[in-house]
Amino acid sequence: MPSIALREIHKRFGETVALSGASLELASGEIHALLGENGAGKTTLVRTLCGLHPPDSGRIEIDGETVGIPSPRRAQALGIGLVHQHFMGVPALSVAENLVLGEPGGLALRPRSLRARAREMLERWELDVDPDTPARELSVGQLQRLEIARVLGGGVETLVLDEPTAVLAPSEVGELLALLERLRDEGRSLVLISHKLEEITAVCDRVSVLRGGRTVASREVAGLDAARLGEWMVGRALPPRGRPAGTTPGPLALRLEGVKAEGLRGIDLELHGGEVLALAGIDGNGQLPLEELLAGVRPLGAGELNVLRPPLALVSGDRQRTGLALDLSLAENLILPAAARPRQSGMFRYGLLRAGELRKAAGEAIERHDIRGGERALARQLSGGNQQKLCIARSLRARPGVLAVVNPTRGLDVRAAAAVRGELRALAREGTAVLLISTDLDEVLELGDRIAVLFRGALSVVDPARRNRERIGELMLGGE
Amino acid sequence: MRAWIEPLLAIGLALLLAGGLLLGLGADPLAALAALARGAFGSAYALESTLTRAVPLCLVGLAVALAFRAGVWNIGGEGQICVGALVAAALGTRALVGGPAAAQVSLVLLAGAAAGALWAGIAAWLRVSRGVSEVLSTILLNFIALLGVAFAVHGPLQEAAGAYPQSDALGAAARLPRLAGLERLHAAAPLALLLPGLAWLLLFRSAAGLRLRAVGLAPEAARYAGVSPPREVVRVLLISGGIAGLAGAVEIAGVTARLFEGLSGGLGFTAIAVALLARLHPLAVIPAALFFASLATGSGALQRAAHVPKVLVQVIEALVIFLSVGFALRRGGR
Ligand SMILES: Nc1ncnc2c1ncn2[C@@H]1O[C@H](COP(=O)(O)OP(=O)(O)OP(=O)(O)O)[C@@H](O)[C@H]1O
Ligand SMILES: [Mg+2]
Repeated sequence: MPSIALREIHKRFGETVALSGASLELASGEIHALLGENGAGKTTLVRTLCGLHPPDSGRIEIDGETVGIPSPRRAQALGIGLVHQHFMGVPALSVAENLVLGEPGGLALRPRSLRARAREMLERWELDVDPDTPARELSVGQLQRLEIARVLGGGVETLVLDEPTAVLAPSEVGELLALLERLRDEGRSLVLISHKLEEITAVCDRVSVLRGGRTVASREVAGLDAARLGEWMVGRALPPRGRPAGTTPGPLALRLEGVKAEGLRGIDLELHGGEVLALAGIDGNGQLPLEELLAGVRPLGAGELNVLRPPLALVSGDRQRTGLALDLSLAENLILPAAARPRQSGMFRYGLLRAGELRKAAGEAIERHDIRGGERALARQLSGGNQQKLCIARSLRARPGVLAVVNPTRGLDVRAAAAVRGELRALAREGTAVLLISTDLDEVLELGDRIAVLFRGALSVVDPARRNRERIGELMLGGE
Repeated sequence: MRAWIEPLLAIGLALLLAGGLLLGLGADPLAALAALARGAFGSAYALESTLTRAVPLCLVGLAVALAFRAGVWNIGGEGQICVGALVAAALGTRALVGGPAAAQVSLVLLAGAAAGALWAGIAAWLRVSRGVSEVLSTILLNFIALLGVAFAVHGPLQEAAGAYPQSDALGAAARLPRLAGLERLHAAAPLALLLPGLAWLLLFRSAAGLRLRAVGLAPEAARYAGVSPPREVVRVLLISGGIAGLAGAVEIAGVTARLFEGLSGGLGFTAIAVALLARLHPLAVIPAALFFASLATGSGALQRAAHVPKVLVQVIEALVIFLSVGFALRRGGR
């Protein structure tokens, strides 16, 4: 089994220095966690290992020998594979076809032998799906497992996973971590990027921390719990996880009555100013239709949706598709909603942009939300976490009376996540009505003044007397 | 890589490849290039011809670029030019407009622009209300417009003499004057500098432009931000068609004075190449149009002086288009 070392890696993108002396020593047969703030360079570092962008300087050693990894193909030949956060296969192809996609001649296999091969791989990686199903019909968790099977299919000994758990439901996270342990026990080495400290203490052997493009520390995980790990990483104690603000609700701000639409089977809810209503639930139980309804892009089938304290602002759950226009700049994304209503925004005069106003708005947002990136940087060039912060900054610009947020801390580092939660709480305290739609149970418990659960397009309210993980978990699976 | 390197590289490579082709045919590529350049820029007359030719290319290239920016594939420049020219000729030859010359010619041009906008508006309506792809509808509308011109010059608009399938010449008051001291270049030529500038302001410094680009780059995100893609599609097609229609009217009022079949001569399609070479940048459309215009005016000299068939120019055009598209795909693939 090889051991891999990345030494003194430097990488710039134009003006931006992404890595300035990052290193990583990966022993064989370990799960190595890579931690760091948003924009610290984690993704960039593992991408250099996988041949996706060669470093400007620095060395990559395998078993003590310096190697060059100029292309993904070379990485594959060296037994290094990367599992992206998002499914990279072809949604329209079947599960079996996706599995052999990368192999020479794979798609030329006869249906029968193709299916047999696929079945064998699926069984091996405990993926219980029919090989003939089109990939687009799988759940996010299944897609990810398919992706892992696909990458491992190429004989990979070193597996890199970039924030694999960010999109998973709690039960799926457990399954994934168990799979990672199994892969390690079979002798593979793994790199796991995650912002969830509990996951790291649960399965990782070593942890390295990146800060500002440099590796600042590396140590054994044994003997650390999540809090201590966080402390060690940040250099001081993290603020304790908060509790709901507990303010007395103000006037009614949002009302849904018998709301039906494709994917929603009749939703009733009332949201008041000054409170956080948290909707828990496993992805795919109506979150997306509800979000689209609130965004005004899905027609209301039946019922009534009233915003009594406008405007309603939304932080979408998919920052790369619906949240941001990735090829517009940070500043342009920030004012896109203003451009949709130029007269009310104060950002335009006679339809023309007021450059001073724009610079001021961008500067404020960058400063207040600690977005790492200049106003002219394309949204695509921001790290995932910073894209998320930009979405949040934008939604607050309109001073919303109702703020709907979908998985607002997905992909955020510990500190940024705490900051966003703090911000939501502060907004509620100031009288904003906050609707939190989240698949993260901890977040729901931490923020929700009231909690309800989405299951198959319907809501069930959680009785305050039975507000605990077990009860909510039951409801998430459709229990009574 | 800086933005202007790719287009230059595309042109350079295309010329190299064409040169190789000439070598293979036993001709002297350097002499051919020199003849081409002389034909396009070698005399005051040649230069003026090139500039005159560049004007409609620039306008229609701009029209195409604006639409493409919004993700709207307006392939209908050709048809929009034709209806613009048709309406301009109808008004100008029938003296349907009166008043001082400046007013007459302005009206003729505005009417051409309005006709182009309406023609593109049909495609916009089909797309927004019926979901018909604008690629298809604008191409089909091209055929209708071309046939419309053919019908007009064989029928209602045919010259009084009845000899040729062409219209009468525009009344003097409906024609564009030459620019001071010039023989060919007309008074609307500065539009080819002014409109790209305005388009730049629109695209990069206005609310409408931001919406338009957002719809082109990320329609889903634009919708979430409260932008209505259908509305932007309609708007940009009206603008795009308007500019192309204006170009048609300018050709009538400033260059040919008469309407005839083949007036647009594939201009609407070359304009797509102009927009692509300019990488859809409104200001870059100006040099890109000049380049294609110089190929067109230089081709005659190429044939006469270097004995190289004119079609070589089309080969170069095609190569530039392929290479531009190739670069764009490479960029997108990363
Ligand atoms: N293609 C690119 N062009 C320009 N800058 C980039 C590019 N990719 C990354 N960067 C910059 O490099 C830095 C490191 O980004 P990277 O994506 O590696 O961060 P990260 O640690 O993975 O963050 P996160 O936890 O938010 O995913 C950031 O400042 C980012 O803006
Ligand atoms: Mg990352």
